[in-house]
Amino acid sequence: MEIRVKNLKRYYSDNLVLDIDNLTMEKGKIIGVIGPNGSGKSTLLNIIAGLDKGYLGTVEYDKKPIDKETYRDMTIVFQKPYLFRRKVYENIEYPLKIRGVDRNIIGERVEKIIERFEIEDLKDNKAHLLSGGESQKVSLARALVFKPKLLLLDEPTSNIDPESIKIMEREIVRFNKETGSTIIIVTHNMEQSRRLCDDIIYLEEGKVGC
Amino acid sequence: MDYILEGFREALKLLTTFDREIYGIISLSLMVSTTATVVAALICIPIGIHLGIKNFRGKRAFSRILYTFMSIPSVIVGLMVAIILSRKGPLGRFDLLYTPKAMVIAQTLLVIPLILGLTYSLSKNRGKEIENVGITLGGNKKDIIILIIKELRLDLMVNVVTAFSRAISEVGAVMIVGGNIKYRTRVITTTISMMKSMGDYPTAIALGLVLLVISFVINSIIYSYSGED
Ligand SMILES: Nc1ncnc2c1ncn2[C@@H]1O[C@H](COP(=O)(O)OP(=O)(O)OP(=O)(O)O)[C@@H](O)[C@H]1O
Ligand SMILES: [Mg+2]
Repeated sequence: MEIRVKNLKRYYSDNLVLDIDNLTMEKGKIIGVIGPNGSGKSTLLNIIAGLDKGYLGTVEYDKKPIDKETYRDMTIVFQKPYLFRRKVYENIEYPLKIRGVDRNIIGERVEKIIERFEIEDLKDNKAHLLSGGESQKVSLARALVFKPKLLLLDEPTSNIDPESIKIMEREIVRFNKETGSTIIIVTHNMEQSRRLCDDIIYLEEGKVGC
Repeated sequence: MDYILEGFREALKLLTTFDREIYGIISLSLMVSTTATVVAALICIPIGIHLGIKNFRGKRAFSRILYTFMSIPSVIVGLMVAIILSRKGPLGRFDLLYTPKAMVIAQTLLVIPLILGLTYSLSKNRGKEIENVGITLGGNKKDIIILIIKELRLDLMVNVVTAFSRAISEVGAVMIVGGNIKYRTRVITTTISMMKSMGDYPTAIALGLVLLVISFVINSIIYSYSGED
């Protein structure tokens, strides 16, 4: 999915926290968004995810405004993930279940993603009792399982140990290669953005720099 | 002092000999309050969750009005229902006044604002985050309401039980619309207040004990569930 942002302004009362004239994120790429704390990275992601509607300007998805279909084709993994009060397995199968995917296919897809993320031993744990890092892994798995055309990641590896970071980066790249989906990833880790991203957007005080 | 002890002894005797009348009263109480609570919960939980996560004009005023109705006195609800169901009232032709059905209606109306208000406030505070996750995973309106109910199930259950406790322990509404008729509309609370005025302490104490046991059992169930996590 291609994202085009035009004349985007987001105010909190009188405070302009995001001000972007023109920005295109090309289909099939991994785009990094970096910038200091409070520069508007999460705000931008929430707007693109269709959760924050209090902005001025336009955001287009494949040249169209947002609609029900768009919501079904994209997802965001939050900086602080929220997992459902049920087993890890049941969290991951949720997006497939509400799409009415066939039971056998759900089983295959969920097992496969659990294996790829190397979280077999967490499968039957209650998700809301996982550690911060484990939650981030599970919430990324839950996002990838239904193959969204646009994947928004807000600091997906901020609490993660180096070994798990490797796994998550590997899966992010693999997902991009396999599906051709667009990925926008907010990170504070310059190394990571160099490793993963085709393009990098630098935000400072709500504006795109270079 | 003696007559109090005597009262307790008699009370235990009534309960252990399974006095028909006493047990009829207890089961009617349970039946009326359970039905009212279940009906109110089925109506109010989805609506309360929907309103809690929705942004609409006048939400603040709505909250304030709703919270006021949560503590509406039961005699007022009883009076309203009695007027509506009385022979000359709008629903008079159904001849419902002084029947268990009338009592169920009154108690349902009594706990509706309570369950609605508690659910609404819960969903207002905690529903938004769940809704956002549901939306971003592709859920539609119905998926999201179901998701929020499942996520908040423990708190919702506590709310429903709170409502049941209010229903089973209130006396005003059931007294007015039921009339405390022997073998027909007599429930625990109306019997207690009548027996007391008649000086029949053993029966009053026996039923008071039953009421305590009921709320003890309910609270134990809630605690064992919330201790699950
Ligand atoms: N709900 C809100 N009300 C008022 N101001 C807000 C709100 N949400 C965000 N802001 C402000 O908007 C600005 C951008 O916030 P945002 O969360 O997008 O930053 P960020 O780049 O994601 O920062 P971080 O790296 O710390 O995650 C900040 O100055 C923040 O204080
Ligand atoms: Mg942020």
